[in-house]
Amino acid sequence: MVSTQQAKKEFESAKLYTSVHNIDLEEFYSSGHRTCQGCESALVMRDFVKASGPRTVVTGATGCMYVANTSYMTTPWVVPWMHTQLGAGGASAIGMAAGLRALMRKGKIKDEKINVINFSGDLGGGDMGLGGISGALQTDYDLLVIIYDNESAANTDIQATNLTPYGAQTTFSPTGPARRIMHTKWKKNVAAMLAVGHPNCKYVATACATWPPMDYMNKVKKALSIGGPTLIHTLDPCPKGWDYHPRYSGELGQLAIKSGLFPLYEIIKGEVRYTYDARKQKRVPVREYLEKQGRFTHFIDEDYELFQSKVDEMWNDWEIPGVAPLRGILKLSQ
Amino acid sequence: MTQSLAKHAGPHSRKEAKDIHRVEINYRGIFQKRLGYNISHDIVYAAHSEGKTAFSNGRYSDDPQRNGIPCANFAFVSKSLGEEELEAIASAKMDVDEADLVLVLDDTLAKGLEPWGHYGIRPINQKVVEGSTILFVSRRKPEELKKLLEKKPFKYNLAVLPGDRSFAGLWYYRDDNSDIRFLGAVARVAPQVLDIETVVKYVRNKYKDEKRVEAAKEAFDSVVINEVTPDDGMVWPYEKPVLPAWQDFDEGIVVKSVKRGFKMGPRGQNRNPDFKRGTSKTQRPVVRFDTCIKCTLCWYDCPDECFDPTPDGLFDVNYEYCTGCGRCAQVCPVNDCIVMVDELKFDNTKSPWEQYTKNPEQYVRVMEEKKGLTREVPSPVTGMGEQFIELKSSVPFKAKGVK
Repeated sequence: MVSTQQAKKEFESAKLYTSVHNIDLEEFYSSGHRTCQGCESALVMRDFVKASGPRTVVTGATGCMYVANTSYMTTPWVVPWMHTQLGAGGASAIGMAAGLRALMRKGKIKDEKINVINFSGDLGGGDMGLGGISGALQTDYDLLVIIYDNESAANTDIQATNLTPYGAQTTFSPTGPARRIMHTKWKKNVAAMLAVGHPNCKYVATACATWPPMDYMNKVKKALSIGGPTLIHTLDPCPKGWDYHPRYSGELGQLAIKSGLFPLYEIIKGEVRYTYDARKQKRVPVREYLEKQGRFTHFIDEDYELFQSKVDEMWNDWEIPGVAPLRGILKLSQ
Repeated sequence: MTQSLAKHAGPHSRKEAKDIHRVEINYRGIFQKRLGYNISHDIVYAAHSEGKTAFSNGRYSDDPQRNGIPCANFAFVSKSLGEEELEAIASAKMDVDEADLVLVLDDTLAKGLEPWGHYGIRPINQKVVEGSTILFVSRRKPEELKKLLEKKPFKYNLAVLPGDRSFAGLWYYRDDNSDIRFLGAVARVAPQVLDIETVVKYVRNKYKDEKRVEAAKEAFDSVVINEVTPDDGMVWPYEKPVLPAWQDFDEGIVVKSVKRGFKMGPRGQNRNPDFKRGTSKTQRPVVRFDTCIKCTLCWYDCPDECFDPTPDGLFDVNYEYCTGCGRCAQVCPVNDCIVMVDELKFDNTKSPWEQYTKNPEQYVRVMEEKKGLTREVPSPVTGMGEQFIELKSSVPFKAKGVK
């Protein structure tokens, strides 16, 4: 067991990457997985385990990254990995951390820092598995939950989830001559919602695996060293469900951030820090991001404008721009 | 396919189902999913319209599909069997053992297949039987494609429908008559499945558009048919796939992890030995090591971890695991340093870095020859096709130490 003080020290001296040349070369999530060409979520897996190192145990809720990485009796994982059910991501992380703590207390295994990381998809983490994640964030175990969000249940052939953006085509929301827009809900603001609702959780962040370089890996390092339950929400461009050419995965992640659609921030003990401040930079029009994806090819001018107005509202009107929209949604009665 | 799987595959051999014509439709996952479904759909409906019984399904183990991974649909057409009889024989099968007609929607599939649910690389003509036909859509000559197939002890036909592969896309679907051209070609090479009058009538009824009818007729006329003899093809260089049965699991459904291991240099990283997925690629990245600035971004952005760091700071490519997504070519900041080149131009997966270090000048010359001067820039949305840029000249070879 690592004491709180020790953890605090470690956080302050978390060996962060300062250049891509410093990143460790060894892979703990290796080649030979059944992911799509250009899969960003595969990079989310590879990078978090690279940042956390070999003393890591991973649990994964059902989703693309479960099916793609262990089906038909082969796996690219080098570190121990356990599958758990779709809604059980949080619970499995608690169990894993509690088990390790008990074994260390009883002296059955060496007392050392073992990172416990759970990854859940947007369905497993932000939709049906949200309760379990919330439970995990209310414990005092050292664990990290990563919600890798490709904005659909892409594994089972692209069904809409609570994190699918407005208007996107999915198997549940195909466009047609009678109704152009079938998915009328806006994306759920999972990271901020969990940060607001769990005051004891010391570290909540949003990230994109490849851009800005090292940003995501450093966030994993910080989350693991601060102690207690932590959460990272990543946006993963998905060539399959978003219907774009796989070589543009990196570009789309960048555009989502630069257009302000996916705000990049970390909340350390209640303090919000932007890691890319879309207020200070000139925001790229959202249209540039939307036009590059087959799932939005049915959009007409008015849809693009609606999208843009929502993003502008996020940055201009929200109490904490891009993060918490309390004023825009809740009002005090007169 | 292994013995254990063959047992579950059901009665697909000729004896048991004499009057069933089995069509296997091979395509690239997601990119050609809708196209593949349209073709099998059309074969079934067109056969119905001429009074035959027909049935179609996807290969069970292909779903959920991934971008680029080889997938297959099957269509079964019968003259005499009733609907229930045919469904009883043909429905819900893992795979077919033999096919009377094999359609290939992308010619790079000729280099072998590693579908989702199978181990190892198997030949595209695995299912052909004596007298059957394998039909490619390709700009290549039948002689070139023949060389890539596995040797068979009998004669069969190889047909080529001249044309480019169509990556028609998923949500945005490019309707470029590819599906209709395939129907016309099927009528030519397998009149027992569909004849051309049926196809013409079916297309006319469905689309009410004479241009589309013309596309079917044009395809019917332009197919080139070539006989493949037992002398053609190659001895299959890959091991026969072995699919372990459920008893082979460890206790508690344990899958053995990759053993930790890393050293600098080509193939220094331990990787998943049982599932390589190089056959997902239609193009491979070709690296100009001489102009590389060692920025590491290709290695950092590669979602398949197939770049191996070398002692001199360069990054070797492991083509056995590379899926050809093109992210490295996109992220590379150096002009013309990593370029995606048609996979059919290569015949091995040897380490390019080793070839380069042996003879840098020769490596660059050979690679520039393969690259040519045309560069392909795909549209962001897959179904919208690609653009081509013509270069005036290639980047000259930069000898070591010369700036």
